[in-house]
Amino acid sequence: MISMENLTVRFGGVVALDHIGADFTANVSGLIGPNGAGKTTTMNVISGFLDAHNGHVIVDGADLVKLPPHKRVHWGLRRSFQKEQIANDLTVRENLMAITDHLHGSRADKRADLERAADFAGVTDILGKMGRDLNTFERRLTDVARCVIGHPKMIMFDEPAGGLTPEETERLGDLILGIHDLTGAKVLVIDHDVELIERICAETLVLDFGKRVAFGPTSDVLRDPAVQAAYLGIEVEEEHA
Amino acid sequence: MRSTSNTIWAVFGLALILLLPAFAGGQWVKIFTSTTTFAMAAAGAGFLYTRLGMVSLVQVGLMGVGGWVTLRLNHAFNFPFEINLMVAGAVTMFLGNLIALPALRMRGLYLALITLMFAAGLDIVFTAKQFPNGADGFWGVGTTFAAEMRRPIFAQSDAAYLRYTMLWLVIGFVLIELHRRMAPGRAWALIRKSEAAALASGVNVTLYKTWAFGLSGLLAGLGGGLLAGSLGLLDAATFRASESVMLFALVIVGGARFWYGAVISAVLFRVVPGLLNNWGVDADLSLVIFGAALLHAVMSAPDGLAGQINGAVRALFSGRKSPENKGAKA
Repeated sequence: MISMENLTVRFGGVVALDHIGADFTANVSGLIGPNGAGKTTTMNVISGFLDAHNGHVIVDGADLVKLPPHKRVHWGLRRSFQKEQIANDLTVRENLMAITDHLHGSRADKRADLERAADFAGVTDILGKMGRDLNTFERRLTDVARCVIGHPKMIMFDEPAGGLTPEETERLGDLILGIHDLTGAKVLVIDHDVELIERICAETLVLDFGKRVAFGPTSDVLRDPAVQAAYLGIEVEEEHA
Repeated sequence: MRSTSNTIWAVFGLALILLLPAFAGGQWVKIFTSTTTFAMAAAGAGFLYTRLGMVSLVQVGLMGVGGWVTLRLNHAFNFPFEINLMVAGAVTMFLGNLIALPALRMRGLYLALITLMFAAGLDIVFTAKQFPNGADGFWGVGTTFAAEMRRPIFAQSDAAYLRYTMLWLVIGFVLIELHRRMAPGRAWALIRKSEAAALASGVNVTLYKTWAFGLSGLLAGLGGGLLAGSLGLLDAATFRASESVMLFALVIVGGARFWYGAVISAVLFRVVPGLLNNWGVDADLSLVIFGAALLHAVMSAPDGLAGQINGAVRALFSGRKSPENKGAKA
């Protein structure tokens, strides 16, 4: 279970996250909200890129907030970014090795792990391709492979479907759904694509202006009037305006 | 294609190591030795720039430290030259690590300025204290001293010593390439892409940035130590802060992404002024030439002269005409 307790982040007088709490029990959970809601801030706090003013993130009994960022990776935290971070001057294999380099285990184990991750994400055939030569979808798949490598316990995807076609988004959704069976990791997904969230996330947390608007089974949450007013409704109204 | 190119470069390098010392006469052996030592420092600066995007303007200053330590140990103890050289490299590697500390917080222009301040500090120390020449005391400087500088027993002559420094340069290049192909190289690639991405991959950014500066310092220190072995006496004017700036500018002109870019940089740095002197032209004219070359590199050749050579060689091997040839034909 991923347990967020009382998570608070302040930038000067601005409260980016205001005492956020939620217990994610599903294998794949969602985090949605309009721009500026605090979704990426939440992810950055969990990753260790931002210090929480208050609160805890407890996964499998470990409080991630207390670990330095690179130690969280050793613990089993993985994440992707809105703009995928594939090093252009490394091959796909080297991009994956850049993670296994810093994990414990024998070389043979690491190699087997890398091949398993590449096979799962469907990048085995492009392991020798340079990062600069990958198309958008190949970069996303490489990102998925990076996330499932090395026995992760929690994986976060920040807008993974950005820039993908509907077909590519569907395939990506299938991959994310398969992650728990492969690794046993809990997955947290941020995306503006509500269809994708509805399809792959069993439960969802909705934020608005750093506050928790709703949390629960995704279908219930998306029907919640408060969510529709804060997120879906307002955007629709603005588009029609 | 890549292996063919590597083979050609290896044969060319071997021929150069064997033939250059044999055919270079008089002062040119010393100039080429000095060029080789500066190529080591240039390789360090270029590696830091291309692998991590960080600018170090203290390389020549660190060469001075390497030279100082080598001379001091040579005059104080009876250690073999290699031991003195290794200690000099270790000292500059440690100094490189120290310089990396501000690098953890700063980047770009601010980092460059910090390293320049280090270079200016070393410049002042060298000018005030000069380099050891065999006298007593910690600084080991006397007005009438000129103690013997020991060299490796198999590199006593100037020509043999030039070969010796060239071998060290090859070792330096191999060291950089090994790093590039292994975990540090992959970590540096991620750090250059974004520190957040590196952290999210489990890279200890502090460790790897410090490591990179240490490696760069090691190469500069070895270069300085080898220069001390060549000349026997060093002068503070060789290690001015402005020389570090000039060397970095020439690293850009030579092409930081390629190992032979460091050689080109050092040739421009040491040989061009020597050539101008030979032709009876003021060597300071080289500054004007280098300025123009830097403008050219910044505006139209981001990979420097080495990049242009690489492009031409690739075009030659792939049977395609290089852009220059196409232009000439048009």
